[in-house]
Order: sequence, then C-alpha cells, then structure tokens
Amino acid sequence: MEPTLIYGAYVAAGLVALAAWWALPKGDRPGRPGVVVVFTALALGGLVLLLGRVLGEHGGRWYFTVLSLLAVLAGLRVVTHPRPVYSALYFLLVVLSTAALVLMAGAEFLAAALVIVYAGAILVTYVFVIMMAQQSAAAEGDSRFGAAFDYDRSAREPAAAVLAGFVLVATVAGVILIRESAPRAAATAAVAEAAPQGNTMALARALFTEQGFPVSLQVAGVLLMVAMVGAIVLAQKRLPRADADRPSPPPGEVGRHAPPY
Amino acid sequence: MVEPQALMIVGAVLFGLGVLGFLTRRNLIILFLSTEVMFQGVLVNFVAMGLARGGSLEGQIFSLFVLVIAAVEAGLGLAIVVMMYRRRGTLDAEAWRSMRG
Repeated sequence: MEPTLIYGAYVAAGLVALAAWWALPKGDRPGRPGVVVVFTALALGGLVLLLGRVLGEHGGRWYFTVLSLLAVLAGLRVVTHPRPVYSALYFLLVVLSTAALVLMAGAEFLAAALVIVYAGAILVTYVFVIMMAQQSAAAEGDSRFGAAFDYDRSAREPAAAVLAGFVLVATVAGVILIRESAPRAAATAAVAEAAPQGNTMALARALFTEQGFPVSLQVAGVLLMVAMVGAIVLAQKRLPRADADRPSPPPGEVGRHAPPY
Repeated sequence: MVEPQALMIVGAVLFGLGVLGFLTRRNLIILFLSTEVMFQGVLVNFVAMGLARGGSLEGQIFSLFVLVIAAVEAGLGLAIVVMMYRRRGTLDAEAWRSMRG
C-alpha cells in the first residue's frame, strides 16, 4: 500500500480516538457535545475518504452512495426540524452534498458556483432573516437558537402530504428507469474530449461566444439588479422625519418605534 | 463515473422532500427553505440529463440559470416574508387565511 494511505489511516484512527475520548463521561463534567460532534464528523469523513481510496476504481460508487444518502437525509431533516435555524444548517449540508454530486458528474464550475452563491449568499440571507424575525420565545425552553414555534409543533395533513410527495417521486423515478439513456462510456468520453481545457473554459465558450447564448448572461444580470431594487423597495420602513420638537432618536433606536409600513 | 439515472433519482427524491416540506409546515421561512430544496433537486436533475445526452454542457448552463433564479427568488421572497412578519407580528402562514374558502 502507498505510504500516504497508511498515514491517512493513522490520522483517521487518531481522530476517532479523540472523538471517543471526548465522548466518555469524566466525573462531574459531562463532556461538551459540540466538540464531540465536530470530532466525530471529522473522523467519519476521514474514514469515508480512506475507504474511497482503498476501493480504487469502485471508489466512485462508494462516494456517490455516501453523498446521495447525505443529501437525502439532510433534506429530510430540513423539512422536518422544528427550529428554523437548524433547518437552515441542514440545508447547508444539502447544498454541499449537491455540489459534490455535480462535481462528480463533471460540472466543476457549477459546483464552485453552488458553494459560493447558495452556501455563501442565500443561506446567509436566510439566517439573517431568521434572526430578524425572531419572536419572543420565553415560554419554550432555551431560545438561544430560535425556539420551535407553537403553531409549527405538529405538521398539518401529514398523511396526505406524504402521499402526494411520494406518489410524485415514484412516478418520476418510474419514468426515469423506464427510459434508456445514452451509453455511459460514451458519455464520460465525450465529456473528457469536449473539454480539453477544462469545464470552465468549455462553459465560457458556450456562454460568451456566438455559438452559445451570449445575451442570456446580460439578461440574468439585469434580472438580478431588478430583484435587488425590488427587495430594497419591498422591505424598507417609513421612518418619521426629525423636526424641531421631535429630534431623531439615537442610533440603534431609530427603527424600533416606527410603524410597520 | 456517475450514472445519470441514479443522479436523476436522487434529484427526484430531493424534489419530493421539498414538496413534502412545502405542504406540511406552517412557518414561512421553512416554506421558502423547502422551495430551495426543490431547486436543488431540479439542479441535480439538469446536470444528470446533460450527462445522459452524451456529456452535453446545456444541462450545466441551465443549472447555472436555475441558480440565478433561485438567488433572485430567495431575495425577493425573504423581503416579502419580512414585510409579512411586520404586518402580523408572526411567521405563521395561517395568519394570512382571510381569503380561504
């Protein structure tokens, strides 16, 4: 076996040992769960990588299985977790697994764009809005990370919703499996020879030259600008003007006493 | 590398989970997060379809534009959610049921 594989096995075993040591109870201190989770995740990730290297040419299927299971389980947790902040964090896991899946399918630029735009911008926006739309949750336990709201405690119409969702999934999956796709060897060979300078260069050629769709990116830019203007207009508050007998309140208090709209 | 059919099934399952969350929850922000999960499923599906057509790049181009639209929808949708929260003081979707039959 190559030496890097052996050292990788040592590192993975060391991380598992650290996680186990942190998880064991030590007298009065119960052990901090956050550190345990991080170390266990690192250890599991190291083991997955190791197994992928060990499997060699079958490592592709192993990675695909792990990533798709991760994406589906994290997606399940997004829609079923009672607290919105945890839903956002599990959605981050969905985005990262999806980025890795499309990376395996040969879309390198799309994977990077997914991480930057989704995980970096959209999720941050969601977390900010969750923070701003917090209601006082003094009644339900610790409200550090956003409590579970009273009205959201039980799912509404769970049987009908599950039936609808999975009839949809079963139908789509049936159609996918019935149809035959192009031979896979030809597909990967075509991907390899159609992009001799890499996926990003091929995408750039397709988007920016006359053989591609050059106007579409301009339209996308205009759309983003219009959306930005619209969001600013929609979410602004009317603040009262300061005059002689009602000076403007100090910073931090300006928006607090304004009427909603 | 990756079989397009398996990737398409993963995309379909993600879409179904998004539909499930959208139909079941009452919190407005989790409703929008479920639509984002649906977008992820569609995005993966487009890349898989591009792969199934012999490595065509059009699937990835479509996925890029799906990404742009998802960003636009997230921004505008969350602005509307903030406005709705300021009106009623709650993120409950049932607070806006006055047009219900």
